[in-house]
Amino acid sequence: MHGRVKVKSTAQQEEEKRKEREKKLKVYLAARDACFSKRKEGIWDEGALQVTQQLLSSNPDFGTLWNYRRETLMHLETVRDEDEVQKIYEAELSFLESCLKVNPKSYGSWHHRGWVSNRLPRPDWARELGLCDRCLSLDDRNFHCWDYRRVVVKMSGVPVDQELAFTDRLIGSNFSNYSSWHYRSTLLPLLHPESPEEPAPPPRRASSSPPPSPQSRSHRVCEEQLLKEYELVQNAFFTDPNDQSAWFYYRWLLGRAEREEIISCMFVSREEERVSVAFSRAVNVSSAGLLLVLDGQPQRVEWRSVHPRFKHSPVWICDLAPGTISDVTNEHNLTVHWMEKHTHRDCALYTGRTESWCRDSATDQELFRSDLSVEKTSVLQSELQSCNQLRELEPLNKWCLLTIILLMRALDPLGYEKETLAHFQTLEEVDSMRSAYYGDLCSKFMIENTILKMEYAEVRVFSISDKSLTTLCHLDQLLLVTHINLSSNQLHRLPPQFAMLQCLEVLEANNNSIENLEGVYHLPKLEEVLLKNNKISTLADLEPLASCPKLKRLDLRGNPVTQVANVEAELTALLPSVVDLLL
Amino acid sequence: MAEEESQFEEFEQIDFLGDRHVRFFQRTLQVLPERYASLETTRLTIIFFALSGLDVLDALDVIDRNTMIEWIYSLQVLPTEDQANLSRCGFRGSSHIGIPYSTKGPGVLHPYDSGHVAMTYTGLCSLLILGDDLSRVNKQACLAGLRALQLEDGSFYAVPEGSENDIRFIYCAASICYILDDWSGMDIQKAIEYIRGSLSYDSGFGQGAGRESHGGWTYCAIASLCLMGRLEEALSQRELDRIRRWCIMRQQSGFHGRPNKPVDTCYSFWVGATLELLDVFQYTNFDKNRRFILSTQDRLVGGFAKWPDSHPDPLHAYLGLKVHPALNITQRAFQHVQQLQQTWRGSTGSCSRHLCTFAISK
Repeated sequence: MHGRVKVKSTAQQEEEKRKEREKKLKVYLAARDACFSKRKEGIWDEGALQVTQQLLSSNPDFGTLWNYRRETLMHLETVRDEDEVQKIYEAELSFLESCLKVNPKSYGSWHHRGWVSNRLPRPDWARELGLCDRCLSLDDRNFHCWDYRRVVVKMSGVPVDQELAFTDRLIGSNFSNYSSWHYRSTLLPLLHPESPEEPAPPPRRASSSPPPSPQSRSHRVCEEQLLKEYELVQNAFFTDPNDQSAWFYYRWLLGRAEREEIISCMFVSREEERVSVAFSRAVNVSSAGLLLVLDGQPQRVEWRSVHPRFKHSPVWICDLAPGTISDVTNEHNLTVHWMEKHTHRDCALYTGRTESWCRDSATDQELFRSDLSVEKTSVLQSELQSCNQLRELEPLNKWCLLTIILLMRALDPLGYEKETLAHFQTLEEVDSMRSAYYGDLCSKFMIENTILKMEYAEVRVFSISDKSLTTLCHLDQLLLVTHINLSSNQLHRLPPQFAMLQCLEVLEANNNSIENLEGVYHLPKLEEVLLKNNKISTLADLEPLASCPKLKRLDLRGNPVTQVANVEAELTALLPSVVDLLL
Repeated sequence: MAEEESQFEEFEQIDFLGDRHVRFFQRTLQVLPERYASLETTRLTIIFFALSGLDVLDALDVIDRNTMIEWIYSLQVLPTEDQANLSRCGFRGSSHIGIPYSTKGPGVLHPYDSGHVAMTYTGLCSLLILGDDLSRVNKQACLAGLRALQLEDGSFYAVPEGSENDIRFIYCAASICYILDDWSGMDIQKAIEYIRGSLSYDSGFGQGAGRESHGGWTYCAIASLCLMGRLEEALSQRELDRIRRWCIMRQQSGFHGRPNKPVDTCYSFWVGATLELLDVFQYTNFDKNRRFILSTQDRLVGGFAKWPDSHPDPLHAYLGLKVHPALNITQRAFQHVQQLQQTWRGSTGSCSRHLCTFAISK
């Protein structure tokens, strides 16, 4: 029911049309009834093919008729010799061609053609590929045709390099051919795999993690071929920088596999007798299989995520039985095993120490390389150079800007921070429709840079103020942070994920637009919360704070909630531990 | 004076013509023009578009609900006396095969009569929209019919005698299981594997493995995972972020379904709903989208078209309106199914996902 442009017609033309329609209807009903009565009587002959042919010509989506036709054909296979069957199927292919001329997007017709090609005694694959060529020359985005072509290639064993050459030709004549680039992305890894000697992946078990996606290792391309592809795709985006096809393909080429899954951090606190564990991705502890071993003894503990909202979380906590590690004169060795991934993390809690941790830094994990390959810096630098050349010619092209940002983050996120911010400014102006998206993306990169700076300085203070932050992310990397300063930004809320900041003692978030504090939840060490000039408007908004037992100081000046009747008394009742309340 | 007039014209240009759309959907439920003939076999889906459209417009009282409910139940493929046809049960698209009209069992055996997964899905939704309590749906038969349609690779056929198989029918199956509150109708793990296998290099979803990314199939993938409650299990944060990025880039004014294709009203739903389910609809430009959709509004006969200056049709008319993102029905109908499920379970628990809607009109 897609796309017919309006054309006006006269009353006379309308009447003529009506008469024609009535005639058609009579013919249609007669044919349909003849069809079904034949079928009922179990008649599978050329007559049956005739009758269904009439109907299918005008309605190729009458699925039942294709089924009847298939039954008829299968029956004929058993009562005719091979040559006759060949002729019958060839006639079928001709019939299908005429159907496809009428509607080149009919699921029924393409499906049936695939079925016929499979059963034909002597298939003519060249003819099938020829049909696809003709169809694609009329509409190179017809995915039915592309899908059928893939089936034909598979059935006939066309070599991959020949298909790759086919995409070469299409792309060569028209760079703006998204479907060709797509097809290329599926062919390339087959022809030039990243590591041909790599053993086959182990068979998947029922509870294991999801199967690999096209971005993962087995679908990557070897380096030599990659360089050739970079050249091809650069030609494309230099020729037409506004066409997304080449840019998406380029992004995929630059991309790299998902990183290894590990336990990124383990934190132990004597005071709360609690163990906090951070994973490299969100897990569900029941399927993940977590085992805590203390001084060689497996512990029976209940793991919980940081907030009741999360069944899946990167951070999990458990409480040890009272007295287990509270004595500061005792040394303890703890290990957490992630059974599903066969990996673990150790942490030693020394005498005289009240807490301990063990983690891989963000730098170690290469967390923020923004998906790009880290193997050859020189390659990335040369790509960055090319893109900058294009930017001189096309300073307002958003794809170019985005790619440059990506490359800069891969090469030197801190070194390129100023340029990155400037490019985001331009992006928000050039593609203002997506300015909210770019705002959040920029916030993410600024948070990443702050994490890197914090790690280089080897402190547990996270400070990112006056950076137009619109959103928070990577909170799982802030498990060890004791002081956080988010003042003078554009935050609206501290989301449930904020509860991952298990070591937080001081929270400064003045001068934002915060109206929701869901994430300030069961933070055992939190003492000070500064929320001057925000948008907290009801007492209910402050309820999560009641779950923080050590909260002493709370600054709510400049929030609408201070105007609520009897606010001081209500807050004293809600938050009894707070001795310093500023309204 | 001239300036005022042109301002008034401008206002008229962008207003939403609710009444016309009501009449458009009413006509859809009566007689359709000749060019819809090929849709006879899938008539129930057209009915669904019209009913849900009227529901969104709060205008269901223009039709006779009971007659409609009876007609839909007449499309149910019920088990025969000896239950030999269980794997063929569900709902059919219309009466085109010629089964005698009946709203109760036992079923009649006919070699070509069977349910069609998309008709079962739209049939159940239509009943919910009309306020029916689904008590006459033979749930076990529907689920048996559904199980018979799933292949080894996790995808589904539309009908038991075979058809093309792909991610569209996984969505239909997931919706059916969700509505009937019974996931024995499908092997979820296999379906998830098929869905993951359909993720393309640019982080959109194709109809199946190796196939081109497309807004419609991306919707089917994400909505299915949401209905199953497995979104974050099946896809990593990084994958989800990339999928969001692919979807965000689909907005041109309205949305298109694939790069370098023209925008089309229906993708405002397919891609918009996906963004909603992924929690990032706020990144889109609401005004531009609304303006495009309204530009495809037919001011005379009502309804929306795929493009401006094209004929309106029920699919685009319906998808130009606002609905619940995962089940593709109104909030009201969604709450109805939740209440029904509570009665079936005899508990006060609820299994809702996002209950957000996004406003196009009103």
